[in-house]
Amino acid sequence: MTVDKERLDRMIIAMRVARELPPGGYVNLGIGIPTLVSMFVADDSVVFYHSESGVLNCGPLAEDGNEDIDLINAGGQFLQPVPGMAYFSSVDAFAMIRGGHVDATVLGAHQVSATGDLANWMLPERGVGNIGGAMDLAAGADRVIVAMEHNDRQGNPKVVQECDFPLTGKGCVSLVVTDVAVLEPTPAGMVLREVAPGWTADEVQSVTGARLIIGDDVKEYEV
Amino acid sequence: MAAALSVGEITRRIVREARPGSVVAASGVWADRIRAALPGSLGVWALSDAGLMDGAPLSVADAAAIARGGYIDLAVIEAGQVDRNGSIAGAQSASGLSIPGNAVDLSSGAQRVVALLPNAGRDGVLNLAESLSLPADGVNCVDTVICDVGVINVAGGQFVLTETAPGWTAADLQAMAGVSLSVSPALRRIDLAAPSGDAVSKVYSDGVGAVADLPDGATVFIDGFGGPGGMAHYLLVALRDLGSRGLTIVSNTAGIARVVSFGTPPGRTAIDHSVLIENGQVAKAIASFPVSPSVSRPSEFELAYRRGEVELELVPQGTLAERLRAGGAGVLAFYTPTGAGTLISEGKESRTIDGREYILEYGLRADYAIIRAHRADERGNLVYRGTSRNFNAVMAPAARITVAEVDEIVAAGELNPEEIVTPGVFVQRIVKRPDGFSGYE
Repeated sequence: MTVDKERLDRMIIAMRVARELPPGGYVNLGIGIPTLVSMFVADDSVVFYHSESGVLNCGPLAEDGNEDIDLINAGGQFLQPVPGMAYFSSVDAFAMIRGGHVDATVLGAHQVSATGDLANWMLPERGVGNIGGAMDLAAGADRVIVAMEHNDRQGNPKVVQECDFPLTGKGCVSLVVTDVAVLEPTPAGMVLREVAPGWTADEVQSVTGARLIIGDDVKEYEV
Repeated sequence: MAAALSVGEITRRIVREARPGSVVAASGVWADRIRAALPGSLGVWALSDAGLMDGAPLSVADAAAIARGGYIDLAVIEAGQVDRNGSIAGAQSASGLSIPGNAVDLSSGAQRVVALLPNAGRDGVLNLAESLSLPADGVNCVDTVICDVGVINVAGGQFVLTETAPGWTAADLQAMAGVSLSVSPALRRIDLAAPSGDAVSKVYSDGVGAVADLPDGATVFIDGFGGPGGMAHYLLVALRDLGSRGLTIVSNTAGIARVVSFGTPPGRTAIDHSVLIENGQVAKAIASFPVSPSVSRPSEFELAYRRGEVELELVPQGTLAERLRAGGAGVLAFYTPTGAGTLISEGKESRTIDGREYILEYGLRADYAIIRAHRADERGNLVYRGTSRNFNAVMAPAARITVAEVDEIVAAGELNPEEIVTPGVFVQRIVKRPDGFSGYE
């Protein structure tokens, strides 16, 4: 079944995720929609960005003509030098992640299961994929927030009862923010928390592969 | 009876054991004594358990990694007792407590171990034993005992007296020892002359020369997080020119800079792992981000992988970093939750600790690392730029021969010891990237 209603755009997803970042926290943003999140962090809620490339306090990207090949984020984008940056080796970069020093990470996903399993590193049809820091973030970050479209380009649900794509981590996802809903995986199953404006809980269920737990307190998506 | 050797004379005898360019570590006060007595021309690195190497500060983790990673050529440990099999018990405190300090690390990690019994002649007791009666700090590790009245080699379950102090005879030493000593047919008077020789320079004049002995089938660490920063382009081209084949490369990517532009100037091609892959030199890659993020723009590695020409071992990035760290620090294996319950855990030992599943991952070592730093001094101390230290600094300790490509080589003393990221003990060769050499072809 498809629901022919307007979905939220990537910027709105990023705005919604930004509300989840803890003030003063250390945050790692993945590639894609997660990268957009930093645009919506309120000025009075300072967040320190961590990158696996070996830098804390990442700021904006370098302007054209001012790129420095020795100053990159984990996506290989060139960063602007900003006051308070710290550089470190990959061992320290991952001690921060694996040692529980990163408060939240925002990642994209191919699939998230009802109990919070995450699949985001390989599309089965490709047969090979990139893990990068994703498995470490899934295992080590205090909160793993997934920001993604609710359905793939073919309309297949990405929120599923069980992942059939290769896993990045089991039971690791804390919150899923999509273009139609905000969902919380729990050991008992996927709880629907918020729906996009104009959407009903039943409509969200109809485009979701997991059985949703729908309480009386489902709210409209707040940005 | 003649006077035993003084502390200064014992130190001079110890220093004769140091070979040019080697790394010498010593326990307690002996580290400073040895450092002061070493001729500078010898280029010896002296390491103390206080975390100083030639006076430059090290973290305790780095100091331990140097010991446990096999970087110490000669360890000098003050002993309470040594037995026939070369096991050593540490010096005892007045209260009888053993004070191992770094003796346990030194005795298990060093290539050669000298045990010191500096008070034998003074006390009239040479503390050699059939088997230790004191708690062991190291087992079967001592090669030579230096005391204040002579030098004794420990080999094949025997104590062999090779040198005696002036005025002391083999019979004198035998009388003080609780065990029987063999006497070397070449028994001689102890020699306290300063050692001579010059350390071999670490500085190479060209890239191919710096990797010339890299054999077919070698395992090679290659840095480059992804883009052009931190990648030893000049050495990659040298390795292509050299042509060694059947290589296992260990790296964050397996070469994606060519297909993800990362600021490559128009009309040019980024130099990355692809230069080795398209030249048929790579048999296997161990990597965390091996292929292009874009399915439609496959890298040389992905094409070779699909043709069945190369193997791939996929490793989460943090596990890769930690496997390198472990390899460099002499840690065989470790448990991590990263990858538990995923394809990565297949075939791996796992255990549940405090209700969470962990998988066993092994340390990684390599024959060679080709790394990129910003500046080096002649002793191989390295400073990086920006994020480009990421895997470079982790790989340097884990390779038998680490070759660093740098922008500038300065004299020893011109780098601030407080700012050195990779101590030179981890770097065997340095080559300056030629002026004007770019990361593009």
